[in-house]
Amino acid sequence: MKHFKTLVVAGAVSLVCGGLASAGEFDDVELKMLAIGDTSVTRLAPIVGEFEELTGAKVQIDQFPYPGLIDKIVIEASANTPSYQLMWVDSPWVGVLGESGALEDLTDLVKRDAAEINLDDIVPIQLQENTWQGRLLAFPASGMIWHQNYRKDLYEHPDEQAAFKAKYGYDLAPAQTWDQYIDIAEFFTRKAGDTLAGETLEKDFYGNAQAYSRVAGAITHDFFPIMRSFGGQYWDPETGLCAMDGEAALAAAEVMKKLVAFNPPDYLGLMWDIRTGYMERGETAQSSYWSVRTVRLTNPDEAVLPTIGEAGYAPSPTGDGNAQPTMTGALSFGINSKATEREKEAAWAFIKWGTSRDMMRRFANEGSGVSQFHKSILSDAGLQEKYPYYQVLLDTQENAQRRIFHPFYADVEEVFGVELNKYMAGETESAQEALTNACTKINTRLKVFPQDMRLRWIADPKAEIFN
Amino acid sequence: MAYIRKRNRKIFLIFMMPAVLVLFGTTIYPMLYAGYLSFRSYDLAKLFVPRVYVGWANYREILSSSEFLHTLIVTFKLMAMTLSVQLVLGVGIALLVTQRLPGMGVARTLLLIPMMISPVIVGLVWLFLYFPELGYLNYFLSFLGLGPYAWITSTDWALWAIAIADIWQWTPFVMMGTAAALTNLSPEPFEAAKLDGNSPFDVFWRVTLPQIRPVLISLMFLRAIDAFKIYDIIFVLTKGGPGDTTEVLSMFIYRQSFTFWRMGVGAAASFVSLVIIVVLITLFFKSLNRDPHQA
Repeated sequence: MKHFKTLVVAGAVSLVCGGLASAGEFDDVELKMLAIGDTSVTRLAPIVGEFEELTGAKVQIDQFPYPGLIDKIVIEASANTPSYQLMWVDSPWVGVLGESGALEDLTDLVKRDAAEINLDDIVPIQLQENTWQGRLLAFPASGMIWHQNYRKDLYEHPDEQAAFKAKYGYDLAPAQTWDQYIDIAEFFTRKAGDTLAGETLEKDFYGNAQAYSRVAGAITHDFFPIMRSFGGQYWDPETGLCAMDGEAALAAAEVMKKLVAFNPPDYLGLMWDIRTGYMERGETAQSSYWSVRTVRLTNPDEAVLPTIGEAGYAPSPTGDGNAQPTMTGALSFGINSKATEREKEAAWAFIKWGTSRDMMRRFANEGSGVSQFHKSILSDAGLQEKYPYYQVLLDTQENAQRRIFHPFYADVEEVFGVELNKYMAGETESAQEALTNACTKINTRLKVFPQDMRLRWIADPKAEIFN
Repeated sequence: MAYIRKRNRKIFLIFMMPAVLVLFGTTIYPMLYAGYLSFRSYDLAKLFVPRVYVGWANYREILSSSEFLHTLIVTFKLMAMTLSVQLVLGVGIALLVTQRLPGMGVARTLLLIPMMISPVIVGLVWLFLYFPELGYLNYFLSFLGLGPYAWITSTDWALWAIAIADIWQWTPFVMMGTAAALTNLSPEPFEAAKLDGNSPFDVFWRVTLPQIRPVLISLMFLRAIDAFKIYDIIFVLTKGGPGDTTEVLSMFIYRQSFTFWRMGVGAAASFVSLVIIVVLITLFFKSLNRDPHQA
């Protein structure tokens, strides 16, 4: 009878935890996570005590800013005795961490627990984002796409619509091409004292805010998606060398240069968070960025915009207005390959708990959602009403393209960051010169390696979890 | 006697051992290891990159790189900007605080505060001041109808912004050294110069300055060596940007070592930097030993 009761209780807990782990199963385990201080972690960090109650494992999450985080992860990965068992992973880092064997292969665990983690409900590209040579090395905690945010309230204002039509000859609407995007940026750039939507401005209003800073290659995080929207690719498929100096890259650099005039005066220092700040405070008409921070535009506790106007969301413009696969990205959790087997088990239990569909739905219901990656959540009518950008996320990921995942990503990010920033600052005369300089530097480093190795690094075989 | 000398030598060696071990562990071994790394291809992040002997390749890469030359130029430019202002301001303030005026003692103590603050904190303080949208500097300038200026994100201003922060922090060092030298000067030559009817400027130029010259040279060289290694303030304020406007030698070494993880190239750049500092120090001692009357 006693054993029966125990079994019933254990079964109940197991059901509550969704098959996660039995209560106290990891009493002896302490997990530390090396992580970022962004939505994919900040939502979860305050409630890790719940995981401890469920499993007994203690979890400590150390949060750091994005710049410098990969440095800590690389040092951690090169240590023989790891301090961190869990690592936050931005999907472009998968190449260098994968090739170095720093992350545990999650393929078999995911296959084993496919039903429990609702694998079929996850947007496939979010899983592919975390693969290296077909093996899954991290699990999505937040799924991103690059898209445009705009001031819907201003775009729909009759005075602004009429003035725009009179000046440019077509209707004011979310830009479908980069030429339209530049027109809109120019149209809405106003000085303090000018009128905007019938009201006199107390301070300057900007037509656009993009990231131009070289710090942590911030400018490249906008440049590469724009390059993609012109049909550009990172690598030459024949040689495995840099192809980011072709026509599409040139067009992207020139779009960014044209937009400089309509950006805040400190544009050269605009990191992604400072840039999104302009949108969140309602000080710019439009800004394109990764959806990881878009959720803030819907929450009056985190942004001013919902209290003074309304944000609208649309896919990224393209070169000619025809659809191009948008770039996607995943912010994920991985397991340090040097952790002990016991720690790895507990870490996987934590990942399942922290990224579960129930947890994601809970965040969304609480109004503090992360950038979602479950199809059922993104297509939920009630949630779409609350988070109108969900539909954009869902639609664009149907035909999205994976972000860079090359082992030399850090070099690409830094070299292109500096060269593009120099061009935007007027230190380099032409976009072609800046891009050629950057590609030459990258190729010098890559040419040391045999071509078959370079081609393997750019190959993206389908994730084995789908087989 | 010989026994005592032998015993003393033993005791001497025993007492010296901890210091030698610490010096070896913290200075000599890391330097030797850095020297070893500078001749190797060593990537800390990309474990698949072979860690092999590459001869002088890392040195050749650095010395033929236009980027490295650019960082050297920026470093010397920044050095010239900060040192010249620190010298003029430091001596001026020292002349003021050594006057027998009320409150000078307190002023002298207060002026030393910036020097005691960690450079990272100095960087953060100036970041709050310079920040384009929300910074205090632009806020106060707006009352005069000026700005906003992109202090740290404009190619025209960024190097000056760093120089100003460095000048703010290190002028007190020049002031303190100069004030100490001024306090120790004998009063007779000044009285004689005044009796001869020299103007205060002439007294300063012909009497004060020649006497404090060796101290000023020492201070300037100490500051030059420090300015050559400047890193923290730049890391906090601009990280070398915008473009490469504020990319100094230390930032170059940092980027090679901890952004690209090319430890070999970073180590080689450190050694080149060391050679430059050694040349500076040699020049310093040579100039100190030179008799000013022979010049």
